[in-house]
Amino acid sequence: MLRRIGRYVMLQVIELSKKYGKTLAADQVSFTVPDGRVGILLGPNGAGKSTVIKSIAGLLRFSGRVFIQGQDSRELEAKRNFAYVPEIPYMYDALTVREHMEFITRAYGAELDENELKALFARFELWDKQDKLGSELSKGMMQKVSICCALIIRPKVILLDEPMVGLDPEAIRELKAVIMQLREQGCTILISTHMLEMVKELWDVTFVMDKGRILGTYAREDLDNKDLDALYFSVTQHAQSGAQNGGETWEQ
Amino acid sequence: MGAIGYLYRKTMINRVKLALRKPMTYFYVALLLFYVLILPFSLRVFASQLNGDSPEGMVAVLTVVAFWMIPGNLIAYAKRRGLVYRNSDVHFLFPAPLSPKRVLLYAHLRTLVAQVLMNVFAAACGGVVFGVSLWRLAAYFLFSVVVENLLEGSVMLLLYGSERLGERQRAMVVKGAYGLCIVLAAMGVYWYFQKGLNMQAASAFLHSDMVQMVPMVGWYIGVLHLLFLGPTAVNLAAAAAYGLLLAAVLLGGWRMKCTGAFYEDAMKFAEDYEEVIKSRRQGDTQKRLGKKRKLGKAHVRWKGQGARALFYRQLLEYKKSKYFIFDTSTFMSLLAGIGIAYLYTRERGSGFFETFGPFVIPVVSGYLIFVFTALNGKWAKELKSPYTYLIPDSAFRKLMNATAMQHVQSLVNACLITIPGAAVMGMAVGEILLCILFYVVLSANKLYALAVAEEAVGSALGRVGRQLFQMLIQGIAIGMAAVGGAIGMAVGGVPQGYLLMDVFLALFTAIFMVIATLNFYKMETA
Repeated sequence: MLRRIGRYVMLQVIELSKKYGKTLAADQVSFTVPDGRVGILLGPNGAGKSTVIKSIAGLLRFSGRVFIQGQDSRELEAKRNFAYVPEIPYMYDALTVREHMEFITRAYGAELDENELKALFARFELWDKQDKLGSELSKGMMQKVSICCALIIRPKVILLDEPMVGLDPEAIRELKAVIMQLREQGCTILISTHMLEMVKELWDVTFVMDKGRILGTYAREDLDNKDLDALYFSVTQHAQSGAQNGGETWEQ
Repeated sequence: MGAIGYLYRKTMINRVKLALRKPMTYFYVALLLFYVLILPFSLRVFASQLNGDSPEGMVAVLTVVAFWMIPGNLIAYAKRRGLVYRNSDVHFLFPAPLSPKRVLLYAHLRTLVAQVLMNVFAAACGGVVFGVSLWRLAAYFLFSVVVENLLEGSVMLLLYGSERLGERQRAMVVKGAYGLCIVLAAMGVYWYFQKGLNMQAASAFLHSDMVQMVPMVGWYIGVLHLLFLGPTAVNLAAAAAYGLLLAAVLLGGWRMKCTGAFYEDAMKFAEDYEEVIKSRRQGDTQKRLGKKRKLGKAHVRWKGQGARALFYRQLLEYKKSKYFIFDTSTFMSLLAGIGIAYLYTRERGSGFFETFGPFVIPVVSGYLIFVFTALNGKWAKELKSPYTYLIPDSAFRKLMNATAMQHVQSLVNACLITIPGAAVMGMAVGEILLCILFYVVLSANKLYALAVAEEAVGSALGRVGRQLFQMLIQGIAIGMAAVGGAIGMAVGGVPQGYLLMDVFLALFTAIFMVIATLNFYKMETA
């Protein structure tokens, strides 16, 4: 199903497959994150989460389709609606923090609202760092700038690849608050992570991935407060025992 | 102003501001200006000796450059290489709602300043060396900066950005570019059989009509002939073909669909590029752009303890690597050794190097070490690892074990550069051994001199500043070794000269080594 009745589904991935040489990193991955919901791509290292996120962000060639608000994710109009926070942030050596924000708003055709910028810098403790060059920032600071760049364009969909890595506890708390706030504002969020603890209170829908495949899709309201840890381990262990028994992997 | 324009402008301005704050920038600018001003005049003497100080000479030089530049660019673009993106571009630029064509042109635009500078230098050489008139130089400058950039930019869009070209078609373009090289080489061979091998024949070949008929490369050369030497039927036809090609690729580039499929290859290239740059800064010259280093399986028998582990770990790494301890410096040493032996045999003496008398091999060795060998190797990496400082051993033993493999490498290189020449010259065994020792000690001197520079200068003068300081103190050591050689010659003869030269150099090296040990005490001193 491509579209919901009467309106577009914000983020829809249909049979996305990606091969690196002979290795199948993503195998017919399909999922949908409904409007204003937080989707979590959950899986161990090497499950294919980053491949899926990078494919949605347009960095990789893949087979299958990805729609953002009903538009092909490769279209510029679709790109205008989403922001991407990569796992490892890289800054322009010769641009200051503030110039990064200026550049990104120009690239997305957004207005740079001074009040919004002040609030963001204050929230992520970047106020005194705005004139620092990219080459002068620590990894944690870079991650904060990367998140601010994603937020300043007011995206309708935001992709976060392991966003908590490298952040201090204060920044993690702020990021979680920002995610909840974005959700309330109707923004669709997809987070890829293997840190279950960090996303426990955030998620609406979870996609458990392993070996390039979606093992199961779960909505919070359907699980009667079942713990995310318990769910994750039951799904992955079930899949492993299925594979060891020579049977098919279990899918919901 | 668009986002890309903003990025380009701000990056340039900030880089210049940053550079102006560093004192070394003024030194480099002065050095560059010195070369730019002096080089054309010294080239004029060279060109007039070869009877090439005329506009024809300029066309000949540019023709030779075109022979490898144009096919080289075609191959790079068809293989989706040749455009440098950084990881920051992958982070911010690629996912942004910017036309992928603009993203491609941005990478091309970043080379513009270097291109303009090169063309200014070419125009200066045109005026000073080749006596080309001013209006022709102005026309050439405009052609190079505007028209050539339009053509190259469009070809780059069509080859790098095209989503219609599959792997097979790309491979065909690469083969086509090699085909152009083969055609030009075949013409050269034909010309050689017809006219022989001398400067006049080579010059006539470069100006021949048949070269101007070769697609793309020849058409460009035709335009050069038109600009510098005036119209002929052939160069007018070549220029017309060039114009048609420009129009076709401009239109093709404009109309081509590009949704950013190249981002994946550009991302891989960016990762490779950053990795190679990082490795080169650490002195690892074995990493090549676009080529993954394959490591085989190997094992060593670990002996000893403490800092000895550093030696065996390095040995294991070398054994896993494809070429073991051999690298470009090994090849250069072998080449130099054979070269010395060949020239000595052909000239029945040291020929050009006769002034250096029996010290030909040490002089060539010194030059090679000073100019070509990598600044640092695996040992420098040890300084970056916190585990090095945690090993319960003395700083001196850590230095010895971290650098031991480097000395083995030097010994191999020393044998390769010395033995062929020494055999032909009939040198005594003792002299050969002293000659080999000279190379090994000089290599160690260079290695420790860099460590001394790190210790003495730190980050105050930057990486290049440290290198200059290293060259300065190493220059002093070499100078003193030369004095030792002269004293030895005056006192006794060649063996004494070799001996004193080695002793003087070894003394300096020992001092450098003691200072270099300080690097291994604490991580912050490295």
